[in-house]
This record gives sequence, C-alpha cells and structure tokens, in this order.
Amino acid sequence: MTADPQIPAVAIHRLGHCYPGGRKQPPRVALNGIDLLIPQGAFFVLTGPNGSGKSTLFRILCGLARPSTGTIHLHGHDLIATPNAARASMGVVFQKPALDKHLTVMENFRIHADLHAIPGHLFAQRVRDALPWSDLGERLGERVETLSGGLARQAELVKVLLHEPRLLLLDEPTVGLDPGGRLAFMATLQRLQKKRGVTILMTSHIFAEAEKADLVAILRQGQLLAADSPARLSARLGQELLVIQGEDLQTMAKALTDLPGLAVQLQNHELRVRGENLLQIMATLLKDHRERIHTLAIKQPSLEDLYIHLTGRALTLDEEECR
Amino acid sequence: MIRPALTLARRELVRFFRQPHRVVGSLAQPLLIWAFLGAGFSPSFRAPGLANVSYAEYFYPGMLLMLMLFAGIFSTITLIEDRAQGLMQGVLASPAPRMAIVLGKVAGGMAIAMLQAAPLLLAAPFLAIPLTFSGLIWILIGFAIACLGFTALGFLIAWNMESTAGFHAIMSVFLMPLWMLSGALFPMDHAPGWLWALMTVNPVTHALTLIRTPLYHPASEFLATTAYWNALLIAATWAGLCLWLALWRVNRVEQGKTMP
Repeated sequence: MTADPQIPAVAIHRLGHCYPGGRKQPPRVALNGIDLLIPQGAFFVLTGPNGSGKSTLFRILCGLARPSTGTIHLHGHDLIATPNAARASMGVVFQKPALDKHLTVMENFRIHADLHAIPGHLFAQRVRDALPWSDLGERLGERVETLSGGLARQAELVKVLLHEPRLLLLDEPTVGLDPGGRLAFMATLQRLQKKRGVTILMTSHIFAEAEKADLVAILRQGQLLAADSPARLSARLGQELLVIQGEDLQTMAKALTDLPGLAVQLQNHELRVRGENLLQIMATLLKDHRERIHTLAIKQPSLEDLYIHLTGRALTLDEEECR
Repeated sequence: MIRPALTLARRELVRFFRQPHRVVGSLAQPLLIWAFLGAGFSPSFRAPGLANVSYAEYFYPGMLLMLMLFAGIFSTITLIEDRAQGLMQGVLASPAPRMAIVLGKVAGGMAIAMLQAAPLLLAAPFLAIPLTFSGLIWILIGFAIACLGFTALGFLIAWNMESTAGFHAIMSVFLMPLWMLSGALFPMDHAPGWLWALMTVNPVTHALTLIRTPLYHPASEFLATTAYWNALLIAATWAGLCLWLALWRVNRVEQGKTMP
C-alpha cells in the first residue's frame, strides 16, 4: 500500500440522516451531527441500544443509503461522490449471511471474485492462502447450507477478504454464534488487524468484544455519546461503583439521595451508587435495609457500566420500551 | 459490467437446476393446465373462424407464454429475500455496477425460460402445426421479448417489495390477468367490447402474437404484414420500457430526507 498512513481509514464529518416517513409516520432523524475519525489499522467497535442509529450508519457506510447531510471519506475517497473508488478498498460482512446457501462455498467465492474483478490466478492463490487460518479446508465443494453457523461465518470472512480490503465493516458478525465460535471469530479478526493492518469497524452489543477494541464509540438516539479507548472510557466513571439488587429499591434510593456527594441511579431493578466512602454506605444500608437487599457489591466500572451510565439503559432493552 | 452480469446469470441457472421442485413446478404447471384445459375444452371449443383448431392446439402458444411468465416470476421473487438477507447484499456493497443485477437476472431468467420452452416446441408437429425453420427463429425472438418483458416487470415489482407475500398478491391480481387477457385462453375477436379493449391495450397480447403467428405462417408471409410488425413494435417497446425502468430503479440509492 503506497497510500499515506496518516489519512484516516474513515473520516465522518457532520453526518446526518433523516428517514422520509410514510403516510402515518412522521419523518425520523436517525443520525444527527456525527463526527468520527478512525485511523488506519484500528479495531473500532460501534455500540448503542437498538434504534440508536447503528444500522443506519452501517447502511450509509456500505453505500446502501445516501445521507441527508455531511461527508464520509474512506482512505481519502469521498464515499458519496465516488462510491466505487471508496468501495474497492472495503469489505462488508452483513448481519444476515450474504452467501447463496444453494451454492457451494467455492461457487460463492467465485461470484465474489467476478464482482470485484479479481484475476483468476490471484483468486486461486488467495483462496489457498485463506485455508490455513480458516477451517474450510475440506468443505470448499460443499453447499453453504450444510455448514455450521460458525463455519458459514468463516466462509463469509474469507469471501470478503478475497479482494484484500483495507477496511472491514462488520454488522454484529457474532450474532447467532456459540461462545466458542464467537471467541474464534474475534481472534481471527484480531489476527487480521495485526498481521495485515486491516482497519476493522464492527457493530456489537457484546461488551467482552468491545473491551478488546482499540476504540469504542457509543451511539444513542442518532448522536455519538463517546468515542475513545475502552480503558479511557471506563476511567471516565472514575470511582468505584456500588451495585444493589433487591426489593423496594425506591426507598433505599430516596434514603441515599439525601446523603451528600452521592450519585444514585435506579434502573432495570438495580441501584447504582457512585461516590466516596462506599464501604461505609454499604454498612449503613445493611443496618437499615438488610431485609430488602438481595445482593450488594462494589465493583470497578466496566465499559458496560459506562454504557449504562451514558445511555441510561441496559442493553437488552429497546429504546421504545424504556420511554 | 459484463463479468458481474454473467456471474449473476450463471448463478440463476445453477440455482434453478439445483432445486428440482422449481424445475418441476415451473414446467409442470403450464403442462398440466394445458393437458387439462385441452382435454376438457377441446370437445366443446368451437371458435368462429377456427373450425379446425382443437382447444389443445389453440392453447399451445398460450401455454408457452405462461412458461415465460413463470420463469420471470420465479427468478425475480427470490430478489426480495436475497436483498435483505442473502447474496444480493454483497452485490450491492461491491463496486460492480448495480445494472449488472438487472442484466444478470434478465439473462438468467431468459436462459431458464428458453431451456424449458425449446423442448416443448417438439410438440408442434404432433399438433399438426406446420412449423418451419424460419418460423422457429421468429418464435425464439418472440420468446426472448416476452421473457425480457416478464422478467424486467417482475424485477421492478420485487425490488419495491418487503415481503414475498406482497409479491404473491401482485402476481394474482396483476401478472396472471396480464397473461389471461392476452388471448392465451380464448380468442379476443368475439369478446365483449370492454374486454376486447383491455386485451388490445395489453402488451402481452402482442407478445403472444409474436409466438402464435410464426407457428402457422412462413416468415416471408407474416413479415409482409403490418399486423405482425405492429405486434413486434408494441411488445418490444413494452419489454424495453420495463427493462429501462428496472435499470433506473436499481440505480436509485435511498436518499436521506432534508434534516428538519
């Protein structure tokens, strides 16, 4: 690659997208004023509740929709003005498999090669190169429908790497995989990033995955709440966290808010307290509310805690349900 | 453009032959309808001016046209799911021109239809139809136009659909009537005025003319008539327009509305 390594792999500037709406639906703003820079070779994870705009951003990046406002440059190429130049260096793994399940793995690869104008000898070489790191070895001649979920994902990954993209976009690629498959898939992605310098942009709901990334961004209601390394994001919460589960949490919350210097949050049947002297507060709670408390714990803030703190909701809940 | 389109067309063919129920379904239905209607109507079918024509013979070109219709429908209905959760996602995100999707579908659909219809032309001598070699060439041209029209029309409908159920609805209230009112099932000459008018403006009627005429007349004869050229012009315009609309539609990328 002769390209300037200083040019960001993805540069998003003031991106906004509004869906037109229908007869009964008003227009809906899905993205609003997104600014984002992803350096080349970074492992970037985009997270946020359902309906936060992740899918819209993903669709725009893939070229499936044109944004209402703003610009996107992929390796310096304007995605909206010259989409084909920008797309040539991009590989996309969709949430739903983009393989034809009636065709064999090899036939699917060949279609990909034809779509990306990969010369025949390079194609054969690249398929051979992919065999050692994937488990596809003996299965190239088999139909995709006979593969397990994990293997089909691997096939998908091998497929999008055939044209040697510099940027890999993945939309919740590990959904539907068992924990083993998920770990293996993530390990493969990390290896690709390290060995080939591929920039990875993936959306995910799984914090164990986000913790492994170089950069994490949290999206909510079309706006970027935070974008930083997982360590710095976790450090934002700074202090330790007291988490209480039990009955009648409202009464406890009320009692705690009366104390000075405490931040108290009640959500999803959990009381979260940040502040000084958590041990002493723990003792007080145990003295006054022993019978109401099921569990009581002090923990280091994780990415998930920051997420809950910022978005005000746990991941399993939809935007709609929380309103 | 050519390589992506060809690979997508090849995919249509491979998929078709790998799903035996599709081969059986799209070939057997026209044949069964032909056999049943032919056997049932032939004793009582006495169309004025067609005294020597049995219903099985009358319906023969209509059955071939039905094959074209089904080839178009079956190859485009898969688009709906393919676009949301299948190979087409990858095609849309690739640098290949979007037009290749239409051209691949149309070429694949045409090849499938031709492969099914061509063997059925062997039935012509058994119906005592005086098919000539030049007639055969012009029938194949008629097949190509009809198939192009149906596939492009199916593409246009499927591309705007969210579910296959919606496509089925359109198929029964729009696509099947286009075929029914083409003169495939009954001659239009003695139809009531309103029906006659509908059948006349139906481009599929003219596509059927392109298949029916060369069965009975040598090319030198029908090419000298304006009726044939009119039919060719109308059917080709219809097919061309559908193709153009499909190309235009597939090139249109969803655009965000102005921010409030």
